[in-house]
Amino acid sequence: MTTDYILEVAGVSKTFKRAGQAELVALRDIDIKVPRGAFISIVGASGSGKSTLLRIIDGLLPPTGGTVCVNGKVVTRPGPDRAVVFQNDSLLPWKTVIENVAYGLTLAGVKWKEASRTGRRFIELAGLAGFENHYPHQLSGGMRQRVNVARGLAVDPDILLLDEPFAALDAQTREIMQTELLRIWQESGKTVLLITHQIDEAVFLSDEVIVFSARPGTVRRRLPIPLPRPRDLDLKRAPQFVGLVDEIWKLIEQEVRASART
Amino acid sequence: MWQRFYDYLNRDTRGAGLSRVLLSTAFILLVWQLLTATFVTNRMLLVPPLDVAEAFLEEVRTGAMWTNAVATVTAVGTSFPAAVAIGVAIGLALASSRVLSLMGGPLLSALNSVPIIALAPLFVAWLGLGFSSKFVLVLLVAVFPVVVTTEAGLRAADKNLIEAARSFNATSWQIFTTVTFPYALPFIVSGVRVAWARALVGIVVAEFFGSFAGFGFAVMAAGQTFDTATLLAYVIVLGAMGLFGSMVFQSVEERLAPWRKE
Repeated sequence: MTTDYILEVAGVSKTFKRAGQAELVALRDIDIKVPRGAFISIVGASGSGKSTLLRIIDGLLPPTGGTVCVNGKVVTRPGPDRAVVFQNDSLLPWKTVIENVAYGLTLAGVKWKEASRTGRRFIELAGLAGFENHYPHQLSGGMRQRVNVARGLAVDPDILLLDEPFAALDAQTREIMQTELLRIWQESGKTVLLITHQIDEAVFLSDEVIVFSARPGTVRRRLPIPLPRPRDLDLKRAPQFVGLVDEIWKLIEQEVRASART
Repeated sequence: MWQRFYDYLNRDTRGAGLSRVLLSTAFILLVWQLLTATFVTNRMLLVPPLDVAEAFLEEVRTGAMWTNAVATVTAVGTSFPAAVAIGVAIGLALASSRVLSLMGGPLLSALNSVPIIALAPLFVAWLGLGFSSKFVLVLLVAVFPVVVTTEAGLRAADKNLIEAARSFNATSWQIFTTVTFPYALPFIVSGVRVAWARALVGIVVAEFFGSFAGFGFAVMAAGQTFDTATLLAYVIVLGAMGLFGSMVFQSVEERLAPWRKE
């Protein structure tokens, strides 16, 4: 049986050279395969190189060793088949919501008329209809992250890379955004790779959770999440859900404790 | 009654702002009038506000005000835009190259700490009385604030925004036009605002030394004939020019960066 893998990370390592200090090995021998249409999460303690891996997959950083293939082609630079949703506010403050959502399209040379039509569609999908002409500073943190997600989807990538997208939000908003993300994922049919340090978030959203060890980041364990879909927030109280979260927590507990001491 | 009036002045509306300005102007005029009526009775030292208004109308009637305005406004109107253009260009060059910045930076700060105004007699000797010496002096005093803020603004650009643009496969030129430059614009305008105040000082000093017409020349001429009323009339015109420019640039700055205000 052959599975259609949209993303294949093979033997990827990343070493940072630092002036006057020892080299920093951020990632070592990472192998990850992501089937088309899947929702995969990577969890790990801070400093485990998760975000570095995401940047390598997007083509923002070159790997020191190994290769990343998207749709069977080796990644050397950012491309239209991938889009990143960053943790922090990376919206252009002088552009309106619609201009921000259409930003990737206009960079790719799409005419404004078409770009704004596409943008409008994704603003609606993200539940922001009516806010097209607002500026980011007029929106709440949760709404800004919806804009961020809509901007990523608008360029019609095959795979959406999310870098701790809800880390800056309060707990309630984060839970709402998680269900929203599930809905958007199901409606758009995209492949999603999520980086997070929230274990319950990873379990709640994913088909599979990849647990990273602390520095240097390696794949410590891959855990399929056999929870039924569609999922809602009640699931977070189910014993099976709690068991999975617990299992992952135990896997990274030592590393979290170690990194908390430094 | 007084409480309500006070609350009104405290408001953030255009009308309240205007009332505040009118009130403080009226207060200054009153103190001025009282001073000239009581302590300072020597009319060579200070004249009452009404005499100044009279002198102003007299200058307008004889056409001297117009002649001087043409001379000053032509000089500033050409040299100030030139200073802004050259300042932005140098700032761009410095921000784009580390070597240039390291080489040019100390040189520029050395030049910036020289009181260029002191070179006015030299420029008059080189370039003669009239337009050219004024042009060069204003250019030199006004260019530095623009250079400094342009470079600082371009360097301040949010790294997250640049990374987001790169993730959408933006070219360096696109990053410049959609992120770095818009980010720097409000900085540049604040430099232009400072430059405007310096340009007015520059033009007055240049006209002190080297011209037969202009507001600075008129101030000098009135001073030498102990015509205090006319002198003050021209100073007030210069003050109005400074205030007007400062208000215009400030409102441009706020319009370009509304997210900073809130």
